[in-house]
Amino acid sequence: MIQDVVWSVSIILMGCLALVFIWVATGASVAIANYGPVIDTAYRARVWLFGLALAVLIGTNYKTVGELPYINTLPKLPAAAVQPAQVVAEQWLWTITPSTFKVGQTAEFYVTSKDVNHGFALYDPDFRIVAETQAMPGYTNVLRYTFTEPGTYQVLCLEYCGVAHHAMKAEIKVTDH
Amino acid sequence: MTMAVTAGRTAINPRAAVLAYLAVSGIVYLLMMLLGLTMRLAQAQWIDAPPNFFYVVMTMHGAGMVGIAGLSSAAVMWHFVRRYVPVSTAVFLTNLVFFLIGAVFILGAGFIGGFGAAWTFLFPLPAHSGGLWSVNAAASYLIGLLFIGVGFLLLHLDIARGILSTYGGLGAALGVKQAFGLAPGEEGPPPAVTASTMALIANILGILVGAAVLVISLVNLYVPSFTFNALAAKNLIYYFGHTFINVTIYMAVIAVYEILPVYTHRKWKTNWAFYLAWVLSTVFVLTVYTHHLLMDFAMPTWTLVAGQVISWLSGLPVLLVTAFGTLTVVYRSGLRWNPAAALVFLGVAGWAIGVIPAIADGTIAVNSVMHNTQWVPGHFHTYLLLGMVAMVLGFMTYLTNPQPRYGFAWLGYWLYLVGGVIFVIAFLLAGAASVPRRYAVHVAQWLPYDRMGSIGAAVAIAGVLILVARFFVGIRTAASVQDPT
Repeated sequence: MIQDVVWSVSIILMGCLALVFIWVATGASVAIANYGPVIDTAYRARVWLFGLALAVLIGTNYKTVGELPYINTLPKLPAAAVQPAQVVAEQWLWTITPSTFKVGQTAEFYVTSKDVNHGFALYDPDFRIVAETQAMPGYTNVLRYTFTEPGTYQVLCLEYCGVAHHAMKAEIKVTDH
Repeated sequence: MTMAVTAGRTAINPRAAVLAYLAVSGIVYLLMMLLGLTMRLAQAQWIDAPPNFFYVVMTMHGAGMVGIAGLSSAAVMWHFVRRYVPVSTAVFLTNLVFFLIGAVFILGAGFIGGFGAAWTFLFPLPAHSGGLWSVNAAASYLIGLLFIGVGFLLLHLDIARGILSTYGGLGAALGVKQAFGLAPGEEGPPPAVTASTMALIANILGILVGAAVLVISLVNLYVPSFTFNALAAKNLIYYFGHTFINVTIYMAVIAVYEILPVYTHRKWKTNWAFYLAWVLSTVFVLTVYTHHLLMDFAMPTWTLVAGQVISWLSGLPVLLVTAFGTLTVVYRSGLRWNPAAALVFLGVAGWAIGVIPAIADGTIAVNSVMHNTQWVPGHFHTYLLLGMVAMVLGFMTYLTNPQPRYGFAWLGYWLYLVGGVIFVIAFLLAGAASVPRRYAVHVAQWLPYDRMGSIGAAVAIAGVLILVARFFVGIRTAASVQDPT
């Protein structure tokens, strides 16, 4: 899952950066006589680091900006290929119609709110988030998701909405056939 | 605090005024951390806290931490910038008074009125309490924020006056000419002036926007027929909120620029890259806030793509200029480590390291599955708790000169560092496991993260308690001595 990749990459990069700080900190007490050449070398290294960072930045953004979840950026699908579902949020319940889908089916959730801001988060049967959008009063956000495995999916509210925020849950059933 | 009365006017010792800020900051940080620990213990099911109480605590913790982050980092900024430009101690203290008045309103709203709409008061939640808080309690909270905002506005305007009278323009004080090679970098303004200029530009704009949405929310409370577009309100709130909290780091980092050279005996090199980083950071801070709205599909897509790209870009000045500069200033400098130097050095490390999970979350594809999970407090506690707060604690330690009791301060440092690392990693692990943020009640499978986080928080607070106690031990002598420089 994307979360596992993000965790692994982040913790490795964070650890590497921490090691650089530790390396400099542990060697700080020994003074070098001639600081000038060191700083010149460091600044040359920084140019390379800048180039590397820029390459990663451009590459990653180019790749990810091509995979946006917003409906206006996704290819149009024939009506028969999509199962629309109305999602209405209010303090503190979800109304989802319909709430049963089939594996392989592409759902388009039309998500709105009757009162305050809510967050529509779709959890798979392993209880990991697979898609999100906000539920806002006055707006309808369209979230497209294709179900790939059967089971009971859960919808949790992920935008704080008041005292029963944590209890604002619903279920979506996904069947094999 | 020492004060001398001269010719019928109260002449306030500026150093004592800074210490007053830091004394308030030390106490409030500890209290807010205890509120944070209360939340983690409740989520861990080690204590019982009913949801309505939990969400009040959450709201107070958020508002209190954001406010005190602003106050403490403003103390750092003001202490150093007044070496270069004329500023008013009276205005500086007026900000403290406004802060305390605002805090009374906010605490009353929460602990008496039961207000629990989160510190971000997302419109129109303050008016939809479900019967848990009154309109007056919500209004008290919003008025409290307004007081704090007005205080900061006055402070930044006074610093702007001082900077303009010395440098003639904000561009000159920011180092725009140096940034674009139109003047030698060595002739640019001191880092404290550049950072203060960036802070005032961003915060004045942010506070004005924040005041607008606060007034709108206040009117809506008493005149429900007066409504406002919820998405527009969210934009205004995050513009203000993001800018205010982000600027705290840019104010606190002045401690790094000023303190590390004292101990390493190396001047902080200000070249074109340094000024360009600050010019770009000014632009980025003012334009990046849409990364908070990546799941608001109704936003124009280009604004969200811009939010992602600017999030990535804003990491570059932090990593390649401030972090790199810190490493080169310390590298084999002959520095004999002391807690003050170690804390500001840690502050830069925490800031730089926290940039990585923050950038990840600012990527739309990642945000789609990690938005409002505990990954978010994971990354912002990394660069705030282990970044900005470390810089402030370093400044507090530096001012109160702990040499006779280094051992005591070192104990505080290590507890704070080790506990803080455990605490933020628990959040990041939980975020990767899809644990939501801002939940009063957690399911059984989330408890290991909560318990790990609780232990880390308790250890970190013990460390901060020692560092703050050490500050109070040294505060009386610190008020009457000159800066160690």
